[in-house]
Amino acid sequence: MTALLEIKDLRARIGDKEILKGLSLTIQPGEIHAIMGPNGSGKSTLANVLMGNPNYEVTGGDILFRGESLLEMTPDERARKGLFLAFQYPVAIPGVTLVNFMRQAVNATRGHEVPIREFRETLFEKMDLLKVDQDFARRYVNDGFSGGEKKRAEMLQMAMLQPAMAVLDETDSGLDIDALRTVAEGVNTLMNEKMGLLLITHYQRLLNYIKPQFVHVLIEGRIVKSGGPELAEQLEASGYDELEAQLATA
Amino acid sequence: MTAVVEQRLDFRAASQRAGEGDPAWLTPVRANAANLASEMEWPDSRAERPWKYYDISGIGLTPETAAAEEHVTCEGLERGARVSLLADHGTPEADAAAKLFASVVTPGTDRLTALHYAYTNAGIAVHVPSNAELAAPVRIKRTASGGGLATPHTLIITGANSRVTIVEEFTSDGSNIVALPVVEVAPGPGSEVRYYAIHNWGGNTKVFMHQRFAGTQRDAQFQNLQLVLGGEVVKGHLESSLVERGTASELLGVGFGVSNEHADFFTLQDHVGPDTRSDLVYKSALKDDAQSVYYGLTRVGLGAKNADAAQENRNLLLSKTAKADSDPVLEILTSDIIRASHGATAGPVEQDQLFYLQARGIPYKEAEAMLVRAFLEEVFGRVPNEELRQELVDRLEEKLD
Ligand SMILES: Nc1ncnc2c1ncn2[C@@H]1O[C@H](COP(=O)(O)OP(=O)(O)OP(=O)(O)O)[C@@H](O)[C@H]1O
Ligand SMILES: [Mg+2]
Repeated sequence: MTALLEIKDLRARIGDKEILKGLSLTIQPGEIHAIMGPNGSGKSTLANVLMGNPNYEVTGGDILFRGESLLEMTPDERARKGLFLAFQYPVAIPGVTLVNFMRQAVNATRGHEVPIREFRETLFEKMDLLKVDQDFARRYVNDGFSGGEKKRAEMLQMAMLQPAMAVLDETDSGLDIDALRTVAEGVNTLMNEKMGLLLITHYQRLLNYIKPQFVHVLIEGRIVKSGGPELAEQLEASGYDELEAQLATA
Repeated sequence: MTAVVEQRLDFRAASQRAGEGDPAWLTPVRANAANLASEMEWPDSRAERPWKYYDISGIGLTPETAAAEEHVTCEGLERGARVSLLADHGTPEADAAAKLFASVVTPGTDRLTALHYAYTNAGIAVHVPSNAELAAPVRIKRTASGGGLATPHTLIITGANSRVTIVEEFTSDGSNIVALPVVEVAPGPGSEVRYYAIHNWGGNTKVFMHQRFAGTQRDAQFQNLQLVLGGEVVKGHLESSLVERGTASELLGVGFGVSNEHADFFTLQDHVGPDTRSDLVYKSALKDDAQSVYYGLTRVGLGAKNADAAQENRNLLLSKTAKADSDPVLEILTSDIIRASHGATAGPVEQDQLFYLQARGIPYKEAEAMLVRAFLEEVFGRVPNEELRQELVDRLEEKLD
């Protein structure tokens, strides 16, 4: 069976600084993976490299999506293949309303113009799912949004685009307790046996709601340890110090 | 007789021919303008700041230059609003126009205004009576064709506490035309005038216009928009003169430049009286070898207590060869003011924003177009009439696509 996403010995840098130093990870359809790791270890770098952010340079390895290399594809091509990234820090785009943005995005990813009525119905349905106010869509993309509102807007986009593979970069940070539950339930509703999910998080909290089968620890640009959900609990209890110490002596 | 190239250009005879059939009051105005046009020099690129980026000395206007074919229509007059022509006489409107014509933008401003008044025939005046509020915009449509010199003139006269929006669209054919439009705005006290100019000139038309708002009546309000869609050169001199207490102006500009188009504006926000307010936002998005020049002066005089002035010029560069020169200047003579701010930027679209849109599947070109719209949206957002705003946005869209 071809993996949904296969990252092979990936190396990437920003400027002169190498950040990903040979990272490998395979995700099969229906799987939920979590990546945890200290600040600056390269988690967002991985997410951005997967999506094709031109600020990062891939210096080695490969990323296969359903067996096809993504490296030569532009970000929009990757998105149209079914890849989605919920950003840790979504940028504001004053002058573009969220609804207009999503309309363009839905049309682009589906490859044809979705009738406006159908689009509206889906939008309202997804807004209900994520308990987002209807006025929200008329605002400019992420402009003046609170931290939590930005994260919800990211999830709304994911719900509208229904990607095959979604990477959620710290979607839980910034969300209050109720919002976290709502968003997590929303994600669980969207998840299906054909889809893959990669959660980047610092907190066990999220993983209580969205249950990963695999947990990986990313330190200094490499996955240093992989395990089941119990690994997240261990980390929550003991932190990364122990692991980092082991690495240093190894 | 042999043709000799003269240093002196004498426009008097040609002006006289243009003035055949003038009403009596106009004859001396035209003659004076013809004298000025013959005596004055072309604005000097090296010496006059507004002309730094455009050298007009080679423009080739001579007394032999033919007049272009000009047409003008005016629609949407309601609630007692009327239009009069330069040649009219014997009506209250014609009398009012005679009194104000050439007083807001004076013939001696420069050689171009002098030439304008020496030649103009396509002059109309829009009159709005006191307390009249026109819900829908008045539409002026102008065309110029057949090459030569075009001299459209628009005079706007409004009564006390009236409210009007006037949209004037300039078009021309593909012939070589030099257009010297003049717009004079003379509002009554408490009157609110919105004047929007759509520049949809042909690709071989060079435009040098003057527009001036005379804020000589208390609390008169002015909003001005320049929407530049086409024209080889569109160069404007825009002035708002805030003389009486409580007068205010908002000057807006939107341009999307392609190929080698050159848009070039000089603006003056002239605070003379107390409690005067002015705001200005000029934005342009530039592709190919297009060039935008902006030079603007905000002047706050000694008597302009409590003045509030803001001025902002922003440019989006969509190619390596597009160019923007921007120079907003403050000149403040009194410290007793509320605000005087200015700002200018020029740069490419935000890469982070572009990536964000692409990450949602939107192809590069489309994403860039979305960001151009978003950038210009701020200016359109200031047009209060929603229907009109959408129409203006749509006009720009046609060029974006
Ligand atoms: N634009 C940049 N220029 C230089 N260094 C950068 C840039 N972006 C990221 N880095 C560096 O790359 C390293 C990895 O950053 P990254 O954002 O991937 O970390 P992270 O694991 O997501 O951290 P966090 O948990 O804080 O979100 C950090 O040391 C960071 O400072
Ligand atoms: Mg991060």
